[in-house]
Amino acid sequence: MKILFKSLITASFFVIGLATSSFAANEWGIDGEEAKELDGTVVDLACELSGNCPDNCGAGKRQLGLLLKDGTLYPVVKGGSNFAGGTEELIEQCGKSVHVDGLLITDPLMTIYFVQRIRSEETGEWSKTNQWGKNWKAANPGKKLGRWFREDPRVAKIVDESGKLGIPGLVYEEE
Amino acid sequence: MNRKLSNIILSVVYPLMIKPIRLLPGYFIVIAGIITANGAVVSAATSPERVQVTGEIIDTWCYVTEIMGDAQGTAHHLCAVWCAIGGIPVSILGEDGQIYMVLKVESEDTNVANPTIVNIQTHKVTVDGDLYERDGVKYLFVNQVADDQGVVNLNHEDYGIIPFGK
Repeated sequence: MKILFKSLITASFFVIGLATSSFAANEWGIDGEEAKELDGTVVDLACELSGNCPDNCGAGKRQLGLLLKDGTLYPVVKGGSNFAGGTEELIEQCGKSVHVDGLLITDPLMTIYFVQRIRSEETGEWSKTNQWGKNWKAANPGKKLGRWFREDPRVAKIVDESGKLGIPGLVYEEE
Repeated sequence: MNRKLSNIILSVVYPLMIKPIRLLPGYFIVIAGIITANGAVVSAATSPERVQVTGEIIDTWCYVTEIMGDAQGTAHHLCAVWCAIGGIPVSILGEDGQIYMVLKVESEDTNVANPTIVNIQTHKVTVDGDLYERDGVKYLFVNQVADDQGVVNLNHEDYGIIPFGK
C-alpha cells in the first residue's frame, strides 16, 4: 500500500511538471520578467517605425515585433533555441494575428519579449518556438544542434579571424 | 576655490560632460499620442531624432536580462557573436548608460545576423543615426559609423570568457 501511495505521489508530481512545462511559459527568474500570453500582429520593426517595408517583413532578415491592438509595440528578441532570436519563429505569420506565450521583460532600459510558444489559429494547439533550430539543422547536416554555436561555420570564420576575444592574436590563458 | 564657486562651475560643466547624445541641427522630435474613445493613449508613429551615439556594440538579450553578468567587453565577445549570428538584435550601450537597438547600419537593409553588424560585436563605435522611441525601447537606424575603435573593453582579465570559460 505504501509503495502504491509513493507511486501515486511520484506520478502526480510528474503530471504536474509535465503540465507546467507544456501549458505555461518557462520562467527564467529574470528581473522584470512576467509570463505573458499576447495577442498581436507580427510586424517588421523597421517597417513599423520608419515606413521602409520590404515584402514579407524582410523574409526572415529583419527583426520582428508584436503590435498589440492598443498600439503597443514589443520587439521579439528571443526564441526557443539557445542563443537565437525570434524572427524565424514568427516570419510565417508576417502581417497576421498571432497568440503567443512567453516572457515579457520590462526593464528600465528596454522592454523585450521572449516568445516560447505559438498557438495555431486553426487547431488551437500550441507549438514550441524551435523553428530556428530546425532551419539550422537543415542547413548544417551532420552537425549537432546542441553545439550549434561551436559548429556554425560563420562563428568559426569570425573566431579564426579575430579570436574568441575579438582582437586578433589576443588569447585568454585560463588560470 | 570655495565650495560655492566649485558648485557653480560644476553645474555648468557637468551637464556638458554627461551628454553623449548630441543633437544635430535641423532636427527635432515630434511625439504624438492619440486618445481613443475609451480614453486609452495609443502610441502614434514618431518622427526620428537625429543623434550621435558613442558606445559599445552589445548583445541585447544578455545585457538586458543580465543572464551572463554584465555582458560586455572581451569576456562576453564570443557569446555576443553567437547571439548576433543567432539573430538576436544587436544594440549599442551608450556612454549615457542607455541602450539603443540597432535596426539598420548604413546602406544595409537587413538586421538579422547581418554580417556588417555581426563583425563589429563588442567594438566601441561612434555612430550618427535616427532615433525612434516607442513603448520603452530606443531603436536606432545608423546612417554612418563615424568612428570604430575596435574592441577596447578588455574585461576578460577579470572575468575570463563568459559563458563556459572558453
